[in-house]
Amino acid sequence: MNKSVVYMIAFVIIFVFVLVSVHSQEDMERVDNSVFKNPERPSALFRHDEHNENADIENCSECHHLYEDGQMIEDGSSEDQHCSDCHALKASDSIPALRKAFHMNCKGCHLEQKQGPVTCGECHKK
Amino acid sequence: MHDLYIFITGPLAWAAFILFIGGSLYRLLAMLILVNRKERFIFSYMSLRYGLRSILHWITPFATVNMRRHPVLTVVTFLFHICLIVTPIFLLSHVILWDESWNLSWWSLPDGLADFMTIIVIAGAIFFLIRRIVSPEVQFVTSASDYIILAIVAAPFVTGFLAYHQWFAYEFFMVLHILTGEMMLVAIPFTRLSHMIYSPFTRAYMGSEFGGVRHAKDW
Repeated sequence: MNKSVVYMIAFVIIFVFVLVSVHSQEDMERVDNSVFKNPERPSALFRHDEHNENADIENCSECHHLYEDGQMIEDGSSEDQHCSDCHALKASDSIPALRKAFHMNCKGCHLEQKQGPVTCGECHKK
Repeated sequence: MHDLYIFITGPLAWAAFILFIGGSLYRLLAMLILVNRKERFIFSYMSLRYGLRSILHWITPFATVNMRRHPVLTVVTFLFHICLIVTPIFLLSHVILWDESWNLSWWSLPDGLADFMTIIVIAGAIFFLIRRIVSPEVQFVTSASDYIILAIVAAPFVTGFLAYHQWFAYEFFMVLHILTGEMMLVAIPFTRLSHMIYSPFTRAYMGSEFGGVRHAKDW
């Protein structure tokens, strides 16, 4: 077989593999920060399944909360949405801006539980 | 780590800011009371116009004879002081912390620029250190406390710089950064760093005397 054809096939296989692995949740390594324009820091390290196993979280709404008219809906869950669907880049009346929402959701819980990262560089690892 | 973080960013931060703000107000008040008791005649020639005129000259680069005589020192001093004050106030990480704690938010520097300004502060501190050692006229008025004060000022910037770049021992330098920052805040009213709060008054006093009594320039 022609050498360049072999390279081409190998490239396609690797490309597809990388694409698939990036999009599966078990293998997520960092929070998707593509919504932010020119982020100052690398996106936060976060392995979804590993985190929930370690933190013993079974209820999705623990993090994926759902609010309606400023009230949190008990057991309401929002894991079918992006955080940015509700939290815009700028804060509005009662909804914290996206960056602050991320920080409060993660760091807030970590401080309460006294578990997990709380300083900038523990999540935003270079 | 969590208990340590909660303590140094909670009660210890409160203590640092209370001592910084309370101490500064106390020092100012104590100075005014002392002046009122010992040299009340100063108030007879304190002048807003001459005071502001002098301050304006001394906060403008190269607006005084002394600054023009020492161009290198002038450039370093201005860059050092501007970066020293602007960087921590407008650093994104700090603005985020104010926002989390007090729901207050303001404009912030890009991290790259803040990093550069931090290097300027550290380089400035090294410049002042060498100047103290090398220059005879500075050496003559130098005591151990001058080196300690310089270290107190440089420490939050060195530790912040190392923590930001995460080259090694990140958590250690992060904790040290918070602690040295709080130490510097407390040191401001109670050491010669108090020139931060006194300088407008000493300048206004000199300006008033030179302008209103001696009818001469003080720049």
